[in-house]
Amino acid sequence: MKHFDIAVIGGGAGGLAAAEKADRLGMDVVLLEREPFLGGILNQCIHHGFGLHHYKEELTGPEYAMRAIDDIERSGVTIKTDTTALDYKKLGGRFTIRYTNAEEGERTIEANAVILTSGSYERTAGGIRLPGERPKGVHTAGKAQRYLNIEGYMVGRKVFILGSGDIGLIMARRLTLEGAEVKGVAEIKPHPGGLTRNVVQCLHDFDIPLYLSHTVTDVRGDENLEGITIAEVDDAMQVKEATEKHFEVDTLLLSVGLIPDIATLGDVHYAIDPRTNGAIVDQTYQTTQDGLFAAGNALHIHDLVDFVTEESLRAALQAAAYVKGEVPPREKQVDVVTGETISYALPQRLNGDYLDKSVTFSLRSRHAYEKGTFLIKQRGETIERFKRRFINPAEMEHLVVEGGRIARGSGVEIILEGSS
Amino acid sequence: MKDFLIIGAGITGAFIARELAKYDVDTVVIEKESDVGNHATLANSALVHSGHDPEANTLKAKLCVEGNAMYPDLAETLEFPLLKSGGLLLAGDDERKALMDKYRNALDNNVPSVRWFERAALLEREPGLASRVAAGLDLPTTMVTFPWEVAIAAMENAIDNGVAFHKNTEVTRIDQESEGFAVHTDRGVFRAEYVINAAGAFAERIAAMAEEEPPFRITPRRGEYMVLDRRNEGLIKHALYPVPSEKGKGVLITPQTHGEILLGPTNTAQESLEAVPTTKQGMERIKTGAGSLLEKIPYEETIRTFAGVRASSSHEDFYIQPSKADERFIHVGGIDSPGLTAAPAIAAYVVDTFIRPRRPLDSNPHFNPKRKTKPLYKTLDDVDKNARFKADGRYGRIICKCERITEGDVVDHIGRTLGATSVKGVKKRARAGSGLCQGGYCEGEIIKVLAREHGTSPLDIDYYEQGTPIFLKETKVKP
Ligand SMILES: Cc1cc2nc3c(=O)[nH]c(=O)nc-3n(C[C@H](O)[C@H](O)[C@H](O)COP(=O)(O)OP(=O)(O)OC[C@H]3O[C@@H](n4cnc5c(N)ncnc54)[C@H](O)[C@@H]3O)c2cc1C
Ligand SMILES: Cc1cc2nc3c(=O)[nH]c(=O)nc-3n(C[C@H](O)[C@H](O)[C@H](O)COP(=O)(O)OP(=O)(O)OC[C@H]3O[C@@H](n4cnc5c(N)ncnc54)[C@H](O)[C@@H]3O)c2cc1C
Repeated sequence: MKHFDIAVIGGGAGGLAAAEKADRLGMDVVLLEREPFLGGILNQCIHHGFGLHHYKEELTGPEYAMRAIDDIERSGVTIKTDTTALDYKKLGGRFTIRYTNAEEGERTIEANAVILTSGSYERTAGGIRLPGERPKGVHTAGKAQRYLNIEGYMVGRKVFILGSGDIGLIMARRLTLEGAEVKGVAEIKPHPGGLTRNVVQCLHDFDIPLYLSHTVTDVRGDENLEGITIAEVDDAMQVKEATEKHFEVDTLLLSVGLIPDIATLGDVHYAIDPRTNGAIVDQTYQTTQDGLFAAGNALHIHDLVDFVTEESLRAALQAAAYVKGEVPPREKQVDVVTGETISYALPQRLNGDYLDKSVTFSLRSRHAYEKGTFLIKQRGETIERFKRRFINPAEMEHLVVEGGRIARGSGVEIILEGSS
Repeated sequence: MKDFLIIGAGITGAFIARELAKYDVDTVVIEKESDVGNHATLANSALVHSGHDPEANTLKAKLCVEGNAMYPDLAETLEFPLLKSGGLLLAGDDERKALMDKYRNALDNNVPSVRWFERAALLEREPGLASRVAAGLDLPTTMVTFPWEVAIAAMENAIDNGVAFHKNTEVTRIDQESEGFAVHTDRGVFRAEYVINAAGAFAERIAAMAEEEPPFRITPRRGEYMVLDRRNEGLIKHALYPVPSEKGKGVLITPQTHGEILLGPTNTAQESLEAVPTTKQGMERIKTGAGSLLEKIPYEETIRTFAGVRASSSHEDFYIQPSKADERFIHVGGIDSPGLTAAPAIAAYVVDTFIRPRRPLDSNPHFNPKRKTKPLYKTLDDVDKNARFKADGRYGRIICKCERITEGDVVDHIGRTLGATSVKGVKKRARAGSGLCQGGYCEGEIIKVLAREHGTSPLDIDYYEQGTPIFLKETKVKP
């Protein structure tokens, strides 16, 4: 059986960054990617708006991916594309990973650590219990994007989009440019789910109506989709009477959320955070299973690829330290709890014997605020405060706490005091 | 001129076709949809009921118990999945009388090994039961199957034994002739001595083509469901039934053959024979019903909702009778629950009661009861995997990551006797696209493989029925 220091599962932005970094740190690394090409979701994001933070340049998705791919091809990483990781097991402190491809069939390799960068999958019609019929013409937005931008096929002519996540917004523009009529976008929440710039550039600029606090209440059509109905919802998300609007469409795209794609992989158990549907990790991005790390959309859903790259670099640094035996065993855990204005924060736990190193918290606000202050507290005392403007649930925030600030003994509390 | 013509390739038509294939006769099956089992046979609880429920001395009771007893052998001969889960019929303290009535009914119907359990005995078997559950019946012969695969299996076996099958062909008119019948379809006229009406919810319409006054009326009732994904395998071991009330048989919780958990059905009267919307109210009703059986249910792990239409009839019991206009026209109508369970017994009943006494049948000396399937690659041991992979590298390539279905598997299910022609056809057979992401990842690949194997363009591959292509036009001209 071939042995590696680190196996990286998934070769999107996260996996590419993690594998290349670990290689530079002297690790023997294997990268498994099920697609014939590296780059992950970036390959279908042919719009620009990538790389402003990490490369200080505005790139398209494929351009961003190309940079990372060029780097990895110059590295010593063993790359296996067209290769699906099937599962992994942990035996005697090491992982055995089973993968399959058309050249080798099913094979097993061994690694001291695994980094999960397997990205995400889209929440489906069933997942949101979409009411009505189930004809042809209801698609998840990312799938339609892939068909359009990679496979080269259109799925519809008259389109409605449910969910104002970034994929839905981008697809509204993309389909319009491709000649489809996009009749509107409905969002169940009172605020858009995607980045503000996407609302402006993809909807406003094309006169596509955005129906906030609306949801789809009926889907019609026997074999092919014929139409949908939307209606307004109240604060409790209950449909308001007599607010229905009908649209004749042949396509309904669902942009109703991404979910970390980790459930079908592995017999190794680790704790999941129901808020993110990803693993619970500590400041090393290690899950509750020793040696198993997670980053990128496989850990929690990111709106910006730059943050995927940076998170994955941090995870790789820690995974390498773990393999070298530099991460102390997790004997003393410090829990991180969040105030009710924060929807989630990572890491959810801290290794109490590793607090001399800095900790990066990634988190999202539950509401939009003009400005606000994040407070990091321990034993009721504020140990760090971060001021931010234009806080928005659609945009992830990062708070870096220098090493030595957090004490070992008691839990950490993160609070957001916002004002509009 | 055919000897027998069967209208409808749901599970009823499929088993009748297979039953007739045992004889030396010429049989044709006409189905309006693009595949076997696209209606009621596709959307039900998948339960092979014990027979505790139908009223004693009805055809439903008789054929349900008989059909149930046939399933284990059939599952081996035709190689379809069968989960011997057993069933528990659960009651609250206030429902003890109704439970006792069902207990007596089950005994009257000769349901094997029925036992009365108090809460403690129930909890030993299903620790998660709701606190209101006070007593129940143990129904150990209850099983769960994979309904459309059963219909496909029966039909495939019938075809392999010489039965002709025409899909995408809709019966529109039936004329009585001296020799038999002229059955008009949108693809020409078929002539046959006998016609069997196995058209499910459409059986009244077919009946109206043969006689002035259809002898039964279909009163369609929709049942909605929620599916919890495979991660919940083991949540329950038995199929859980509530005690039926005037409102119907209630919401069940059923472990499925591939690990999912099914919650439902609801029971709503409707006009349409084929509308299958799910509704918010339906989902709420399911939650209320399921919650009265089991304490904790992870609704957030729903991967799919769906609905089916019961072909309930004014006759209440199954209506299996020759037409009053011509005894060579046989109605198999009102086949609502337990139609799935009863189907093999219905087939034998139709042939033995209404055909053989009137028309002598010679047995088919070449009849081979067995259907051979090629198991999915993931189910093989390492040695067999290796052998298959060596012969064809496509078994190494995963297409559906959630269900671990390889390209080789998909190709197999396109190439078999009743091979898949659509995306959903592949899903029904190979389960590719049935998992967590519901085809979000693999649908495009499946379209490409279907197009390649059928020698057409991806633009011609339908999602399901004819005229439902997923790709509408190409946007790039490829070099
Ligand atoms: C439509 C859309 C628009 C976006 N727009 C922007 C934008 O304008 N600007 C921006 O900065 N960011 C944007 N993002 C966000 C950003 O691009 C993504 O968050 C980021 O690319 C995710 O990277 P990842 O590596 O975590 O996941 P992915 O890119 O999804 O990579 C995961 C990889 O793992 C592979 N994989 C999964 N399971 C297995 C397995 N079992 N075996 C082998 N391989 C496996 C997958 O094939 C995939 O290649 C957008 C995202 C989307 C979807
Ligand atoms: C919600 C629900 C739950 C159920 N649960 C169970 C259960 O757990 N256990 C159980 O035993 N039973 C159950 N049943 C009952 C069982 O599903 C049905 O009795 C069984 O599937 C009926 O099969 P069928 O072949 O008679 O009808 P169908 O499967 O509906 O097939 C009839 C076929 O006839 C075709 N057809 C109609 N008109 C024409 C035409 N003009 N020309 C050509 N073809 C035509 C249709 O296209 C269709 O394919 C349930 C039913 C429902 C709806």
